Formats: sequence, C-alpha cells, structure tokens
Amino acid sequence: MAQALAVETHGLTKRYATGVLAVNDLNLEVRTGEVYGFLGPNGAGKTTTLRMLSGLLHPTSGSAIVAGAAPGTPASLARLGAMVEAPAFYPYLSGRDNLRVVARYAGVPKSRIEPVLEQVDMTGRSHHTFKTYSTGMKQRLGVAAALLKDPDLLILDEPTSGLDPQGTVEMRALIRDIRREGRSVMLSSHLLNEVELTCDRVGVIAKGLLVAEGTVDELRARSGASQLLVRASPLDRAQALLEALLGPGKIQVRDQLLLLSVEPSQAASLNRRLVSDGIDVSELRVSEQSLEDVFLQLTEEPPTPTLPQKGAGIENPTIPRKGGGE
Amino acid sequence: MIASLGADALKMRKRPANWILFGILMLVLLLFGYVLTYIVLTHPPRNFESRVPAGILKREVFPENLLPDILQTVSTIGAAIMIIFGGLSTASEFGWLRVQTILIQKPGRTVVLLGKLLDLAIVTFLVSVVVLGAAALTSYILANIDGSSSPWPSTVMLLKGFGAIWLELSVWTAFGMFLGIAFRSTAGAIGGGLIYLFVGEALIGQLFRDTTGVKEILKFLPGINAGGVNATFPLTFRNPNATTQLVDATRGTITLLAYVAVFTILAILIFQRREVGGS
Repeated sequence: MAQALAVETHGLTKRYATGVLAVNDLNLEVRTGEVYGFLGPNGAGKTTTLRMLSGLLHPTSGSAIVAGAAPGTPASLARLGAMVEAPAFYPYLSGRDNLRVVARYAGVPKSRIEPVLEQVDMTGRSHHTFKTYSTGMKQRLGVAAALLKDPDLLILDEPTSGLDPQGTVEMRALIRDIRREGRSVMLSSHLLNEVELTCDRVGVIAKGLLVAEGTVDELRARSGASQLLVRASPLDRAQALLEALLGPGKIQVRDQLLLLSVEPSQAASLNRRLVSDGIDVSELRVSEQSLEDVFLQLTEEPPTPTLPQKGAGIENPTIPRKGGGE
Repeated sequence: MIASLGADALKMRKRPANWILFGILMLVLLLFGYVLTYIVLTHPPRNFESRVPAGILKREVFPENLLPDILQTVSTIGAAIMIIFGGLSTASEFGWLRVQTILIQKPGRTVVLLGKLLDLAIVTFLVSVVVLGAAALTSYILANIDGSSSPWPSTVMLLKGFGAIWLELSVWTAFGMFLGIAFRSTAGAIGGGLIYLFVGEALIGQLFRDTTGVKEILKFLPGINAGGVNATFPLTFRNPNATTQLVDATRGTITLLAYVAVFTILAILIFQRREVGGS
C-alpha cells in the first residue's frame, strides 16, 4: 500500500516580480510520520518553498497538497504548524502572552498553552518578555507556537539556526520527540550534520531545482562509487605500481594517502600485490563519501532540470561537471 | 473575526507605545489646551496683545466651549497621534515577519485585517470617550476655580460633537493604518503621514486656500473637510482669527466617511494581494 503523504508538490515554481526564479518545477514528497530534511545552500529556494507550502506566497505555477489540502486553505492550516524563516513574535509581550495571541488567531483553547510550553521546556521563562529571550529560547517558543494547533505536520525553517551546541542538541531531541508522537516534520537546513542526525529522508535543492531525494545513505551511494584509501611506504613506488595496474586517472594522492577509484572488492588483491612487491601497507580501507562531499557535488554546479520521478527512492539527475556539456 | 479581534486587542492593550501616544494626547489636550491656557489668560503678561480681551478668551476653556476646544486639538495633535497609532498598528507587524506567524494560523487575511480594523474602531471610540470626558471634567473644574458660570452644550450638540471627534480620529487612524500596510514600514507610514498632515494639509492648505483652481482640489482633503465639520461647533465669542471654511459640515461629514471607507477598502485589497516575504 502506498504510504500516505504529508506534503506533495507538482511542478511547483516561483518567479518573483523582480524576475528571480527562486523555485523551479519542484516535485517532492514528504511521507506521513517522517522527518524530511530540505537541504540546500543559502539562496537555494528553501524558504520560498516553505512559504509557498504555508500559503504565504502564491506559486507562479504548479501545485501542492499540504496536510491533505491546498496550501493556505483553512483545511490545510488547521493541520499545519510552521515556523518560517525566524520565530517572529511581539517583543513587548511575554512568551506566554505571545502564545495567547497565536492561540486566539488559531482558534485554539488557552489550555493548549501550558502543554506546549512544557514540551519545549519554556515554562520557567514564559512570563518574561520575548525581547529578553536568547536565540535558543526564541526558537523554542517558535516551535511551541507551531505545536499549539496539535498539528499533523510541522514545517520548521532552519530550527537550529543561531543555536549554541547545547541548544542544537536540545532542538534535535525535541524534533525526535515530535516525530515519536507520530507527526510529520519537514525541516529546512544547510547544516549537514543536523540533517544526517535528524532526518529520515532528505531532498536537496540547488538554485531552485530539486537535485536529489532519498535517505542519507542513498544520497551517499548515488553520488558515486566508494574509494579505497591506501597508506603505503614508499609512497611513490606504491603509486607507480598501482597506476600500472589500474591505469591513469584512478589514483589521487592526498595527505600522504592514495585514494583509489576502484571497487572495494579489489582491496585484497591489491594489498597482496603491493606486499609482494616489497611495499609496506599500513592502512587499507574503504572510504565512503561524506554527506558534505555529496552535498557539494550536488550543489556546486548548476543542475540541469532533470526532474525526479514519482515513486523512485533516489533521484538521479544529470549534473554537468566542469568542462562538461549540457 | 471575534478571535482575531481578541488577539489584536491583547497586542494593542499591552503595547507600551500606544499608552505613551494617548498619554501625550491627553497631556497636550489638558495641560496645554486647558490648564496652561487658563493660567496664561487669567494672569496675562504685560505685553499680551489680542483683539479679544483675555477675560473673554479664557472662556475657551470653560464648558460652553468644550466641543470647539477639543476639536481644535483633535484636528492638529490628535490627527498626528492617530496617524502614528494607525501606522504602528499595521506597519509594525505587517512589515515584519510577525505577519507570517499570524497568517500561518487559521483565519484568512481578510478576517485578520477586519479584526484589526474593528479593534482600531473600538480603541478610537474609547479614546474619543476619554478625551471628551477628561476635557469636560477639566473645563468644569476650571470654571469653578474661576468662579464663572458656564452652560454646557445641549445633549444633542454633545452627541454631535462626540460623533465629530470619533469621525475625525477615525479618519486619521485609518490613514495611518493604510499607510502602514502600503509602505510595510513604520518609519514610512509615520513619516509619510505626518509630512502629509503638516505640509499637505496645514501648509499648502492654508497658503492656497484662496487660490482659484487649487481651492477646488483642497475641498477634497480630509483636513479641510474636518475644518468644515468643526465649524458646526463655534466658540461662544467671536474669534477674529477664524477662517472661512471651504466646505460645509454635511459635505465634510460625507467626505470624511468616504475617506474611512476608501482607506479601509484599499488596505484590505493590498493586504489580500500582497505576498508575504520574498524578494
């Protein structure tokens, strides 16, 4: 049975009046009950997408279904909690009064305020004015406001932005708690570690285009073959021998290590050959690409608009390399 | 809309700037408009010159002149205060990310704005009540201190006067509110509103009020129309400084009501269509 979707977009596009194409033909799916990381560099179109999903911006073309209804409609907003761009509250009101204001707009009973304050661990400071809060407390109040409606779906825009390490850890734990309650979470970030530790699946956006979607492991795998990492002595002899065996272009030297672009299954035979030629091998292991490598590879070049297909676990868009053609 | 009204009322009640603004209005009205005026006119300086004797002039602060005295303040400092109040109420949040926080909740944009407009109308009504009540009490006290008898305006005139105060305060509040939404900037709304009031209305309106052609245009300005309404409530003594009004009270009232409606409709249209965030 197909998994229910919390968010789905079809060709979602936003071109501002200034001519800037912020989001281009975006197709993504957030499944019910998952934490979906929306990853991209600054200016990639993350916040614009989240604004469209929250009904704050109208798409130039395309459509979306958010929490079962069109974005911005009462049916969608009733099941959606969101904090877009930054937690924005009234500086002269206390945290509790700010939540009272939000609750009134949302038509939520006052009795919801106390539980959400407890959930984000803000009960003790809820009587202080918002302007006295630290960045972390402001972020937590933003999450509390998003939780007021007891929503099925939470959209959080860079929830750990500006937080210190302790605050970041607490925010991650809070997001995991929210997920355990059965809610879906879509969070945007440009912090890879955060996404890796928090998200079930990831969508990568660059220059308005979705360039990949899948689990973190799937993204790593899609970005290219693993490498063999060899520490050998003498290095020059090892390099010469391996070049003779593998051919040119398969070997890189970095930090006194040889990086071999070969199948990991070749490790044993290469090791035997090096040792039999009198070369000492002190380290030989598979080196997987970090998410950072994957992210940079996906986002550093302008992607061609090869769009992900629905239902595929990993998308595999064509990403031209430097010097490459269309 | 009631929920939006309640949310807005909470924000408005707790915003310190609002209390400061209305404090300034009361201070100017009561201290400068009544107490200091009475003291100066009771003990005029030796170089005091006026075509009306000070003993007559000071009757301006007595109950018989309650309405013209209040309306004079309402048309000047009151207008400025209400432009700032209206501008703050919208620009301070509709120009910032806070409007996102509001619009992500359930109500639609029109409901959100209508809640705010209703709240502004209620606050303006309450300010009118307080202004009229405080001025009446002060004038009563001053007349008693002076030992003078001064008749109150009739009930009908009091009601009409209250309506005029509320209408004029509402026009300037609506103007500020509209500018706040149009500019999405507190500085733009307040600056634009005050420049219009002091340059467009006060300066140009006075300089060119007798210039043929310009005069016809001036007849459409809110301040000029407010002057027409104010003329319905003359001082009990002949004021040699009084100017001829360009419009009568009926036209003035209709024009002011039209301004409230136009500012409200334009604000709703802009707010409905405008995108929140983005470049």
